[in-house]
Amino acid sequence: MNTGGMEPDATQPRGRKPDGTNRQENTLMYQLTDVTKLYTKGRHTVPAVRDLSLVIRDGEWLAIQGRTGHGKSTLLNLLGMLDRPSSGTIDMDGKNLTRLPGRQASRLRAKSIGFIFQTFNLVPTLSAAENVEAALIPLGVRAAERRRRVAAALDSVALGDRARHLPGEMSGGQQQRVAVARALIKEPTVLLADEPTGNLDEDTRDEIINLLEKLWRERGLTLVLVTHDTAIARRAQRVGVMSKGLLTIQAGDRPAPASDLMTG
Amino acid sequence: MFFITYLRRELRRRMRQAVLIALGLALGIGLVVTVTAASAGVKKAQADVLKSLYGVGTDITVTGKPPRAPTSASGPPKGATTFQVGPGGAKVCQNGKCENAAGKTIAHLTPGNYGPISQSKVAEVAGLKNVAAAAGGLVLTDTGVKIPKNFGGIGGGSAPPTPTQFNVDGVDTSHLSLGPLSAGKVTSGRSLTSADATSNVAVVDSGYAITHKLKVGSKVSVAGHDFTVIGIVSQPQGGSPPAVYIPLARAQALATGSTSKSLKNKVNAIYVTAASAADISAVQSEIKHLLPADTVTTAASLASQVTGSVSSTAKLANDLGKWLSILVLIAAFAVASLLTMSAVGRRVREFGTLKALGWRSRRIIAQVIGESLVIGIVGGAAGVVLGFAGAAIITSVAPTLTGDLTSPTGQHIQAAGGSGGGPVSFSPTASHTVAVPMSASVTAGAIALAVVLALAGGLLAGSFGSWRIARLRPADALARVA
Repeated sequence: MNTGGMEPDATQPRGRKPDGTNRQENTLMYQLTDVTKLYTKGRHTVPAVRDLSLVIRDGEWLAIQGRTGHGKSTLLNLLGMLDRPSSGTIDMDGKNLTRLPGRQASRLRAKSIGFIFQTFNLVPTLSAAENVEAALIPLGVRAAERRRRVAAALDSVALGDRARHLPGEMSGGQQQRVAVARALIKEPTVLLADEPTGNLDEDTRDEIINLLEKLWRERGLTLVLVTHDTAIARRAQRVGVMSKGLLTIQAGDRPAPASDLMTG
Repeated sequence: MFFITYLRRELRRRMRQAVLIALGLALGIGLVVTVTAASAGVKKAQADVLKSLYGVGTDITVTGKPPRAPTSASGPPKGATTFQVGPGGAKVCQNGKCENAAGKTIAHLTPGNYGPISQSKVAEVAGLKNVAAAAGGLVLTDTGVKIPKNFGGIGGGSAPPTPTQFNVDGVDTSHLSLGPLSAGKVTSGRSLTSADATSNVAVVDSGYAITHKLKVGSKVSVAGHDFTVIGIVSQPQGGSPPAVYIPLARAQALATGSTSKSLKNKVNAIYVTAASAADISAVQSEIKHLLPADTVTTAASLASQVTGSVSSTAKLANDLGKWLSILVLIAAFAVASLLTMSAVGRRVREFGTLKALGWRSRRIIAQVIGESLVIGIVGGAAGVVLGFAGAAIITSVAPTLTGDLTSPTGQHIQAAGGSGGGPVSFSPTASHTVAVPMSASVTAGAIALAVVLALAGGLLAGSFGSWRIARLRPADALARVA
């Protein structure tokens, strides 16, 4: 069994859960059991993730490293219900995601999971504010409430004065901050970031990572961050390395979560 | 509203493509509107032709069984008027009785190609189920021949006389709302009334009145009898409507059938109005059952007998125009669909991101269909404008159309003076030529059709895009750009 495991440290980030309750220490956010994801390319079937069992604790920061094409993004897609495993089960907050109907999966994504992408993935025709607002549309939030929350979200990433700017009118760092605001405006429990600094220069990279770390700390998010950058990965509580679909867990620089939750 | 904002921004982003799609749809829809307008104009022209011939409100026309056409071998039919030219000069003979015709004017009022129908049948037709009204009439031709004094003498004398003809309609004065006079507008004097049923009074067509310098109070000769002109009437369209309208009873008294039989208590046309347009076919069948030998014609079937440019234009509009419109529409729809699919293809990352944000496919599809519908509606609106322009161009450049309905009068006249020395025979024909201006007008139906087509075009294009979105897996969409 491909299981991530390491010695833990009990230190936890501060923060409260989005629903206002205190983050429960040692509770599970994700539990992956024997997850395999196969892709068919022509006549060949390629395993992107192989027989993976993993536990991610509520409020944990897990970094995933690995070479291109070794299954990092696939794992992130599975965690975000953008894809379904070929076999195995994925539980999130007690729900079996593999059996979740499409409609409920969309609802769960809309409510609980924030995504940040390497290429920002902002809608080019919408302003910064409208891009952030787009995350609230599936939740049926009223327009006035949306406007209030959008303003607050942009302020939280120091882009309040850029609300009406189109993505093309902003720098890469600013665009990624808009994407962070979009991911966090719905107050998710999980933030999945796929190489969020991959397209940024060094200064901007630090700016974004500092922002993510700050938000992770303040909000008690579960953060799963895919990165090629070892320096960034070391800032997480744990570091998972994907190689040919297999995951190996290592300790990060930050104190790791409790040990009893580290095995699948 | 976010939906509107997103839609507006997206359309603005691909403005050029949106304009191209809208223009394609506009072209197709504009052509459909123009062709529909032209078709409606042609139908109106046809209706005007029929109206001028049979009056307004007439759904069905019954005409008497045509008399058997004379053959060259059989000679003139019994009772027909013949001229005999011999050593004694010109004689006019009828039923074996001959008299000297030199210097005389011989006038006949004959029913042309329509055989007689008993007037009692008019009441029977009126009593049929789903018949709102029925009126009898006599469609007649007045033929006058002035025989020169020295015609037919030794040496041949002067050239054969040329008969003068005009059409006379015997009008049922108790049913003036039906029949040929119903469509006319009295421009001077008055129309016929029930009180005129037995009087020698006539209403004259305005064109005939001008040609023959007739006015109210003038005398017009019908079958050799003087009729006082009491009114001048103008038919809706120009051409050759009946020249003179006289009371039916007087027409019956003066006219003679193909065998010189009196037409008293006879008509040769019955004008019928059905209770509703839907009943026309049923009423036609009932009348055919009642009068199996006679000809029952609906406005629709009569339209097929109308020849001339109005008929050619109808064929052009209905055949070429229709198929051209369909082809252009198919092309426009195909281009719209392909461009929409292509646009969706370029927005895969965007839609994948929206799915990652929790947008359901249905919402994204609604967004894409909304964009397509807006393009379709803009194209439809532009198409209607183009349609109006096309209709205006057709109206301004199209020549006046003519409709012809030709029927022989059934009269058979033989005269001397043939190139071989034998008699010359001729059978005058009653030709109804009606000139109508071509007026292509955009109807509410055409606009409704344009709206439907615009929505259909938008929906079709959006559906192709939606089909692609529905199949889009968010992980694939995001992986494609990662």
